[in-house]
Amino acid sequence: MESLQKTYLYDEHVKLGGKIVPFAGWDMPVQYTSVKDEVLAVRNNVGVFDVSHMGEFFVEGKDAEAFVDSLVTNDIQGAEMGKAIYSPLCREDGTVIDDLIVYKLTTGHVMICVNASNIDKDFNWIKSKHTGFKCNLTNKSSEYSLLALQGPKSFEILRPLLRELPDLEYYSVFQTEFGTHQVIIARTGYTGEDGFEIFGSHEAIKALWQKFMTLKVVPCGLAARDVLRLEVCYPLYGHELNDEVNPYDAGLGWTVKGAKTNFIGKEALASKKARYKLVKLVLERGIPREGYPVLNGKNEAIGVVTSGTMSVVTNKGIAFARIEIDKVPADEVFNVDIRQKSYPAQLVKKPFVTGGHK
Amino acid sequence: MSTNIPGNLKYTKEHEWALVEGDTVTVGITDFAQSALGDIVFLEVPEVGSELKNGSTFGVVESIKSVSDLYAPVSGEVIARNTDLEGSPERINQDAYGSWLIKVKVKDKNDLANLLTAEQYQEFCNTSH
Repeated sequence: MESLQKTYLYDEHVKLGGKIVPFAGWDMPVQYTSVKDEVLAVRNNVGVFDVSHMGEFFVEGKDAEAFVDSLVTNDIQGAEMGKAIYSPLCREDGTVIDDLIVYKLTTGHVMICVNASNIDKDFNWIKSKHTGFKCNLTNKSSEYSLLALQGPKSFEILRPLLRELPDLEYYSVFQTEFGTHQVIIARTGYTGEDGFEIFGSHEAIKALWQKFMTLKVVPCGLAARDVLRLEVCYPLYGHELNDEVNPYDAGLGWTVKGAKTNFIGKEALASKKARYKLVKLVLERGIPREGYPVLNGKNEAIGVVTSGTMSVVTNKGIAFARIEIDKVPADEVFNVDIRQKSYPAQLVKKPFVTGGHK
Repeated sequence: MSTNIPGNLKYTKEHEWALVEGDTVTVGITDFAQSALGDIVFLEVPEVGSELKNGSTFGVVESIKSVSDLYAPVSGEVIARNTDLEGSPERINQDAYGSWLIKVKVKDKNDLANLLTAEQYQEFCNTSH
């Protein structure tokens, strides 16, 4: 058996009674007390996640912005300095290698945060495209720890702990100090609520985690994180996104900026061809789970659930489902096959839950 | 580690409890099972009149993030189901032994001999987790 990596906070999670499970090659806390309580802490108050397993790449030099812009579908060069930009990273054929966040720290300094399971795949890909640009590319994933402080009380908890923290816009980034430690603070997260992601050295992040615990911030695990992101309809790599689909297949057409001069995948994505439609389904009864077949009104298979759970906020079954584009039913009648029984599902256009982020 | 294992009940290695009264067996899931599952949000058990086969799955219990099969401790016919749990399966988290799922009329009494005693189940929980 392959040995799993542990974040620098592993012992803290165990001390808190966190249930540890393998995830993307890491031993990660899936929950501490109750998934429900952790979800509600983030929606109504404040919670914190150790997401140190995620990867951090740095691109530095004169062409840093231009290089990153050439890699991803969203507009990096056009965004203001200090912004964070969500984007797919695509191959020439438009398929998605990963989805990531690009942070424009200062001129010539860009940080990219990627999914833990894709660190090596992404870095090798980006390195292979790193020709003709005047900038350095470094993978500092093992040097950084990362916390996501999420919930309406995030700002009031975090501000007094830092040398300085302006009331940042959503999807903005700021560099400051926590004690003697340099930290990178971004008003991002994957829960739909207001909150911050804090990147720093292992020592800095451990000290910050311990500080959060004394302030009664609720430690939250991966299970709560997954419910939170699904409630607000954020896609997750390995579920809605994978090596086979393009951004249009996953409802991410808005991240493809065809007007950009050039980027990898531009030509393939210009036709905006989708093989699938990603839909949002609500079940009054039954809980949809990943892999369950989705059926039309005649109970014919038309797609599959990519993520599903019971929503803590609405107390209903909710799912993302990938439907074959030519089988999307005109009458919008959907059913989910749960253990060989057909359960009615309602198509919704808006996210299941509206988060409170800025 | 669960220490809540009543001595008057029998158990399965799949973490069901069974209260044996004559040829009627009342079935639920153990405190260990509810604790491992976390917040229980959905329960599916067979209709009255269904036939269960010892060791086979007869339903599911779902928490927010997981689905677990329920295994029949004995063969027999379902003679009752706990309708109180239908709208509020979270009661299983609050009181696993007070929240029975179904009652079964035992077909073959030899099945009962194969169930674990409280001591055996405690030992099983200690060694397997």
